[in-house]
Amino acid sequence: MKISSFVYSLRQGMKNILRNRFYSLASVATMIVCIFMFGVFSAIVINVNHVVREVEQGVAVVVYFDEGISDQQITAIGDFIRGREEVADATYVSPEEAWAQFAPVYFGDEDPELAKELMEGFAEDNPLINSANYQIHLKDVSKQDQLVKAISGLEGVRRVDSNDSVADVLTHFNSLLGYLSVGVVILLFAVAVFLISNTVAVGIAVRKEEIGIMKLIGATDLFIRAPFIFEGVILGLVGSGIPLLILALIYGKLDDLLRTKFGMLSGVVTLVSSGEIFRYLVPISLLIGVGIGFLGSMITIRKHLKV
Amino acid sequence: MIHMDNVSKAYSTGNPAVNDINLHIEKGEFVFIIGPSGAGKTTLFKLLLKELEPTSGTITVAGQELNSMKRRQIPKFRRNIGVVFQDFRLLKDRNLYENIAFAQRVVETSSRKIRRDVPQALSSVGLAERYKALPNELSGGEQQRIAIARALVNDPQLIMADEPTGNLDAQNAWEIMKLLEEINEKGTTVLVVTHNREIVDAMKKRVITLEDGKIISDEKEGGYSHED
Ligand SMILES: Nc1ncnc2c1ncn2[C@@H]1O[C@H](COP(=O)(O)OP(=O)(O)OP(=O)(O)O)[C@@H](O)[C@H]1O
Ligand SMILES: [Mg+2]
Repeated sequence: MKISSFVYSLRQGMKNILRNRFYSLASVATMIVCIFMFGVFSAIVINVNHVVREVEQGVAVVVYFDEGISDQQITAIGDFIRGREEVADATYVSPEEAWAQFAPVYFGDEDPELAKELMEGFAEDNPLINSANYQIHLKDVSKQDQLVKAISGLEGVRRVDSNDSVADVLTHFNSLLGYLSVGVVILLFAVAVFLISNTVAVGIAVRKEEIGIMKLIGATDLFIRAPFIFEGVILGLVGSGIPLLILALIYGKLDDLLRTKFGMLSGVVTLVSSGEIFRYLVPISLLIGVGIGFLGSMITIRKHLKV
Repeated sequence: MIHMDNVSKAYSTGNPAVNDINLHIEKGEFVFIIGPSGAGKTTLFKLLLKELEPTSGTITVAGQELNSMKRRQIPKFRRNIGVVFQDFRLLKDRNLYENIAFAQRVVETSSRKIRRDVPQALSSVGLAERYKALPNELSGGEQQRIAIARALVNDPQLIMADEPTGNLDAQNAWEIMKLLEEINEKGTTVLVVTHNREIVDAMKKRVITLEDGKIISDEKEGGYSHED
């Protein structure tokens, strides 16, 4: 196809859209809802995944010992823990280290000088003398329960703290959300394909006579079909571009809010960066948009445009 | 230009609309096809354009054998033929210039050639000044002239007109026939289906008469009068 023909077909496709405003609008609106929901679901799933990974990286399980336990026993417990396959690594934290870790949190790190002074005040009388522990990182958070059970039964273990399978819940939630979103989005996509194919069908009906003349003059199949393919693809592109813009705006605002306004949450709850999310979301959504538009128009063209 | 050998076409219902026709038309001829309503004239045209497939027989148009022609070759083939209809079939939302340019655009003619050919086609049918008018602003005769200009602009070897004067008064009918005759004199083969007895009798062209799908007469300088 020549460039001039390409431009001509593109313009005819746009004309179809404008001439047939009601259907075009309905198609685009459905696409917008579709892609918007797809985007929201994706953003949530990606963020939850991100949190899960973070939880997995953080200390999942902390093991405390009975008072007066011997160093040997501690070593034995350590060996047991490290021997288990779900454990990535286990670090021994002495009471002094525990205090050093905890104190800044306790006294706040706004004023490091003051905190240091206060800490030194407690140095002789470590409040966490019984807080020696193992900090365990897991390879897979879903195995947390079985590990906790195994360690709790050991001699010399006073307490096993775990993040009460936050990660587990999150993982569950995520896969549930994943299924839900796939279901909803597929349904909406089907509606979008249906609407676009109807929109294109109206365009073909309006141009029925013109198409008849084109065939007799000797226009190729491709030339006759191109405007309608463009029509579908443009509808798909607009229908995916608009929600992407909206999503980008909302996401950016939300990210900002969480970073600045909610000071106490800052650093605790953060979003995966816009860039990271939209790097995937933009091409995938646009591709889906174009795909739906193409599919919608192809279905109609095959049905109503037997050349 | 046209060779039909033992061509029949039966629609699913009833008798064959075209029944065992043998027809040969040479390059540069002007031929009238007449016959009563339902005789099969339009069906014959559709066979020649490969809009319809014959039930049997072979058809060759402009040196191309239609039976073995592939679907994707049809558009190229049709560019050899200009078609004119009783109801003009102009695009009502486009002006005269655009209507003619349309015929070139859809066969992917370059813009430069379109800019050169369209004014020429418009003046060859005497409507150069009206290029901005919409079809509805024209008389029937003028609309048909635009339709002829559109059929001509791609330089076809053959013009096929199916009752081109059916919607026109006597005066306009004559003008259209004269225009087709002029086109024929420049070398284009012309095939005209018509019910206009007066014109057929006066023009002394080859006349093929169809009835019930069969050729019942084919005369060099024929007319309706010869039927009697
Ligand atoms: N699509 C079709 N399906 C079934 N029968 C058809 C179809 N088209 C035409 N026919 C029949 O074929 C026969 C020939 O029709 P055709 O249109 O070729 O006649 P015609 O000579 O052009 O008539 P007219 O002068 O009225 O235009 C008629 O009996 C008509 O009813
Ligand atoms: Mg007819």
